[in-house]
Amino acid sequence: MRFMRRRSDFPRTADAALAAFGIGLRQAFAAWPVLMGRALFYLVVMAILAALWDKVTAAHLPGTLAAHLPEGALTLYVGVTEWITLSVSAIHLRLEDDIRSGALEPQLLRPKPYLAQRISESLGGAAARLIVLAIAGIALLVLSGRPQPPLLAFMYVAVLGVLGCAIGVLLFTFAGLSAFWIRRVLPPYLIVQKLTFLLGGLFAPISLYPRWLFRFALATPFAAHTFFAGVQIIAPSERFFFFGIGLEVLWIIALSALIALLWRRGLARLLREGSP
Amino acid sequence: MSALTVYAASIAHAIRTSLRDRTNFLLQALGMVLNDGFFLVLWFLFFAGFREVGGWGRSDVALLLGIIMIVVAISGVFFGGYRDMAATILKGELDSLLTQPKWVLPRLIARESIPSAWGDLVVGLILLSTTAHLAIVQLPLALIALVCGLTVYVASGTLYASLAFWFAGARSFARDLTDFMLLFSSYPGSIYSGATRVIAYSILPAGFVVLTPVKLLRTPDAETLALAISASTIYFTLAVCAFHFGLRRYRRGDVNASLA
Repeated sequence: MRFMRRRSDFPRTADAALAAFGIGLRQAFAAWPVLMGRALFYLVVMAILAALWDKVTAAHLPGTLAAHLPEGALTLYVGVTEWITLSVSAIHLRLEDDIRSGALEPQLLRPKPYLAQRISESLGGAAARLIVLAIAGIALLVLSGRPQPPLLAFMYVAVLGVLGCAIGVLLFTFAGLSAFWIRRVLPPYLIVQKLTFLLGGLFAPISLYPRWLFRFALATPFAAHTFFAGVQIIAPSERFFFFGIGLEVLWIIALSALIALLWRRGLARLLREGSP
Repeated sequence: MSALTVYAASIAHAIRTSLRDRTNFLLQALGMVLNDGFFLVLWFLFFAGFREVGGWGRSDVALLLGIIMIVVAISGVFFGGYRDMAATILKGELDSLLTQPKWVLPRLIARESIPSAWGDLVVGLILLSTTAHLAIVQLPLALIALVCGLTVYVASGTLYASLAFWFAGARSFARDLTDFMLLFSSYPGSIYSGATRVIAYSILPAGFVVLTPVKLLRTPDAETLALAISASTIYFTLAVCAFHFGLRRYRRGDVNASLA
């Protein structure tokens, strides 16, 4: 089964993908208790990370980076990065289930490309989460009484955050496809998660790193996943906004191509040798 | 055969199965070592930049991370079925276990041994024996601390998974709860106050999984020891009761199985 169909099939494939996106969106809203639970987690995580950064910045230890941190800014930054990562749906688990259980093979007989359908459905689910978590985050910001960023920053964050979330779905798809080779996708998923921590600046802006590490991290998809959107909330910049969009689009194209390649290789292995 | 013997036989079989495919086993275990390595680099960078958090320094966090890694490792190797228990319930896979005379819960948690957990075990042991500043005389206390933390962790995982008996969307919810308990367990205890402290000692009991064991090892006293043992007993009892009552619903056919 090919990831992308012939050119003449493209409109139908795109229609099917759009329908799958709608299904994912509606399914996520229909499972509203899960969505509310996720919003609650977002608030809980923010409570922990806000406590961590408030503790660190309040200490103002001489000779450390804490002395240079703006009051409360890192909490806003982490609020954005967590909004993005918590919105990404667990497509890796669905792929693992389908590949391990043999549920994938019957799907291959259907006229729509399986992987494009799954990714679109996950993007739909992610869109629902982005909406609900954004509402929760803004409500939390208002209730916390912290200084609010300018409106322009929210607009930049919205655009970069949505693209960043799409990159997250692709990264998790990448982890999920490893089920063609290994029984459990947990290790690749955790590696993606930790690389997002480290190179994506999930926990703290990568601009706090030494110069060489910052430059390296900036060139990875993990920075495109979270950092570009996060940094706009503390230092909105038009130039960096367009730079971020450019890199995010580039990573979406590159990751899609890599996923297509991995899918073909994995599927060939599955049809030849069966699931691991 | 007692329930314990059945559990021991089941988990021995699960471990042998996990070791059978050596390439897969090595990939998963090394993947976890790599994952843990990234996490440690992150904390290393953090302490290089900020030195301490509310009195918690690098060695304290190393102790905390060492304990949580070993707890997760032992849970994964010897009680690996806890991880996907909610899905097992929702897929109706309990049916085959119900036809057998032995207890369901021990068989369920012994269904699987997670190969990646061995990676956690290696990194956890290295952390505890190097940067955590633990002395050899603390070994018995460390074992008690680990057993208490492990009991609360597995019991909480079972409690969350038991939600599947009442709630069809519990698969991802149970996983999320377990992951957030881990998240709470990965940060220095000094940051928790007010509501977050209440959560850390109740719904997501990181306080009993790792913070109380750390306190027991840093400033050992009878009160902390009693707290650790009591908490593990309470969470164990809660988990067994929740599973028991949920299983009664399942037997009556009140559970929406095959929804996962």
